[in-house]
Amino acid sequence: MGAYVVRRLLFLPVTLVIVSFVTFAIARFGPGDPLSVAAGQLRDPEVLERARAEKGLDGSVFEQYGKWVRRAFNGDFGESYSIQRGRTVRELIMPRMWVSAQLNLIAIVLVFGIGIPLGLLAAWFQGRWLDPLITTTLLGLSAVPVLVVIPPVLWLFAIKLSLLPVGGWDGVLEIYWIADVIAIPIPDPHLYIPIAAMTIPGFAGVARLVRVTALQVQLEDYVRTARAKGLPERQVAFRHVLPNSMLPVVTAIGLSLAGVLEGAFFTETLLGIPGIGSLTFAAVVSRDYDVILAVTLILAAFFIVMNLVTDLTYARVDPRVRVGAAARV
Amino acid sequence: MSQNRILAILLGVLAALVLVVGGLSAVLLLSGGSDGDDAASGGSGSSGSVDSGAASGRLRLGGGDPITLDPALAGDAGSAEYIVELFGGLMTLDQNLNVAPDLAASFEVSPDGLVYTFKLRDNAVFHNGRAIEANDVKCSMERATERRLASSTAAAYLNDIVGAREKMAGSAQSVRGVEVVDRKTVRITIDAPKPYFLAKLTYPTAFVIDCQQAESNPRNWTLKPNGTGPYKMREWRLGERIVLEAHAGYHLGAPKVSQVLYQISGGSALTRFENNELDVANISVNDIERVRDRNNALNKLYIEASSLSISYLAFNTKVPPFDDVNVRRAFGLAIDRQRIADVTFNKMISPATGILMPQLPGYTADDKTLKFDPEEAKRALAASKYAGRVLPAVTLTEIGAGAEGAIDTQAFIEQWRQVLGVQVQIKQSDAATFFADVDAGRLQLFNSGWILDYPDPENVLDLKFHSRSALNDLGYANPTLDGLLERARTEREAPVRLRLYQDAEREVLKDAAWIPLYFARQHVVVKAAVKGWTEPPMVIPRLRFVSIER
Repeated sequence: MGAYVVRRLLFLPVTLVIVSFVTFAIARFGPGDPLSVAAGQLRDPEVLERARAEKGLDGSVFEQYGKWVRRAFNGDFGESYSIQRGRTVRELIMPRMWVSAQLNLIAIVLVFGIGIPLGLLAAWFQGRWLDPLITTTLLGLSAVPVLVVIPPVLWLFAIKLSLLPVGGWDGVLEIYWIADVIAIPIPDPHLYIPIAAMTIPGFAGVARLVRVTALQVQLEDYVRTARAKGLPERQVAFRHVLPNSMLPVVTAIGLSLAGVLEGAFFTETLLGIPGIGSLTFAAVVSRDYDVILAVTLILAAFFIVMNLVTDLTYARVDPRVRVGAAARV
Repeated sequence: MSQNRILAILLGVLAALVLVVGGLSAVLLLSGGSDGDDAASGGSGSSGSVDSGAASGRLRLGGGDPITLDPALAGDAGSAEYIVELFGGLMTLDQNLNVAPDLAASFEVSPDGLVYTFKLRDNAVFHNGRAIEANDVKCSMERATERRLASSTAAAYLNDIVGAREKMAGSAQSVRGVEVVDRKTVRITIDAPKPYFLAKLTYPTAFVIDCQQAESNPRNWTLKPNGTGPYKMREWRLGERIVLEAHAGYHLGAPKVSQVLYQISGGSALTRFENNELDVANISVNDIERVRDRNNALNKLYIEASSLSISYLAFNTKVPPFDDVNVRRAFGLAIDRQRIADVTFNKMISPATGILMPQLPGYTADDKTLKFDPEEAKRALAASKYAGRVLPAVTLTEIGAGAEGAIDTQAFIEQWRQVLGVQVQIKQSDAATFFADVDAGRLQLFNSGWILDYPDPENVLDLKFHSRSALNDLGYANPTLDGLLERARTEREAPVRLRLYQDAEREVLKDAAWIPLYFARQHVVVKAAVKGWTEPPMVIPRLRFVSIER
């Protein structure tokens, strides 16, 4: 398996080179450039020409790409030309990506933490009144887009009840003082609305997935065998049905984790959260070449690694799945 | 089967985690009313009140991340908003938009109007306490005009200084026209006696910075700039917040509010204002009805003010059909801007009466633009060289993300169709594409706007319409107009100079190079506890006049 991992990882740099060149070329071939956006209404063709030369944005795509690669190898991923002029890309991206990652991680924990037990519950009660109730509610919830959830929630909790802030971001934890003596860290109130918006459609989807697989597993031969040999129903559920229904969930968790660094664009935009989604959008519109490229590369690398991790986990959870050399024997 | 047990345990842990988080949330929600208010009023734990002398309180504003805090580079109003509070230059604008000394204590102009000698204030210091000297002025201007920096604002606004063009082109090592006379005296020589030169010095690109700081960290020095302004940077968390702190030693009088918090992230400003998260909020067209209602609590907090900015439709006068002035006039006569301002924009903006706007020297109240007149519009089109022929296809381009077009653009399209029988297409592009197309002369008709950078008619008329101006993007050339603008540049009698600009304005309108659309107006609500808040018509330092009485 070690060899398999190494082989998969060897593809990483190759993939990244391809991704970086394609992204680089597409951004360059788009009309306009970040320097004219930065100059705005004070665009003077002569000054822009000079600026392009100074920033190394003249010359062919290959020349420019060459320059970028040389700089990147020295750990310099460039600077923002238009959205945060002069700031290093690292300085610009890292805090925003961290914000998105925190939001996504919390949402993922809740999505699966609520979704899995709920799905099992529905499967357990199959054929009784609770199952259709849960299933229909879930169907409704999973169909509601973030764009629809947020406004009424904001209206109720922020405006009418004044319990929560309207938007923004203030970190994950906040210190809550009891009588100015005891400090308890609690989730920051800015989190509730975005987390609710990101969690509700997600957990409903997971619960439906878990319910379906659990019901399928119930029909498997080994479950029937377990029942036949007289195992108590509780043991059948926890030893046989539950673990085996988790296989598709592992894939779902893997895919969700692979997307941790991606921003939740609508949630971030609607609630004014400084995540990577809104930053990337701004960078694309303003042709902020180095920012676009850096974000794309980080996401690509992370996605590849997380995919590998998912595959490996899958092999551990399901003995039937074998990775690498062993699989071909 | 031990693996399955591990899985079961993991699931259990997950469920427990959910319960804990959920429980905490419930606790917070139940007890949370007060906590929410705490966070809202900015009292969250760590804020710790900073009392510097007489200054007190915290002002909470909305805002965006500035594109840059480098005064030499910034060209947008959003960045200037912060820069004028953090930095300063030789001259500034007072609250009535008069040019007034800032770092300069006094200045003298030579009889020929070419040489300006500035005496610096003895008490003017950087945020770190170092006194400002003539060398700082010199090196700031040298840096702004460096070829490597390629600043478009320096190219536009420092180009009158002798030697600045050569420096920016890379053919000179230093700007000859800026000289250090002694420790506290600096002399600037310009290329022609231009009375508006002092006004140009109030723009950030001429501001004084701590050159040493900029050199030591060229990419990120503006995160905590050592400026000379009334406020200093305490914290800038990108996308989250900017916190400014009073500069107690400020030479024009210490600010009254000790801390200004800009909440960069967050949803609708008015909603946050109502939720007591902000002290000042802009009003959008969706909310204006409510705010104007006398029975609404917000009405008493409402301020409306004018602004030195204009939106317009621009023609590329070199491409058909707008190479004919009659077609341009027909397009201008066919749209009812008054009705669009009243209905579509709910009277939040006023139809432009010309190019020079209220509060700008040279402004006159009479309407000099093409008035809505369908019959006259048809006659103008009939008088054009395209009369009786099929008009070339027309596309109106604007910056935007949707395909629909701005609400007023859609109204124009409809009016052109009804009045002139012309079908105009709308195209929306992102800023980068839009600018590239404008610069390449690919657009026929486009929607744009201009915000003045200093209060002088030269800043719009000369820059946008002189045939040799790099910023004239219309392909428009009128020798009479050029003559008027050139005379106005060096006319030293103010009334005569303003009359020249008024003539120039009429000339542009006669040629219908622009259809001026509206003069923008500002609409804000300000908490009653905030005293001395103003909405000046352009970006000038204003925070130090504000106080809070809670």
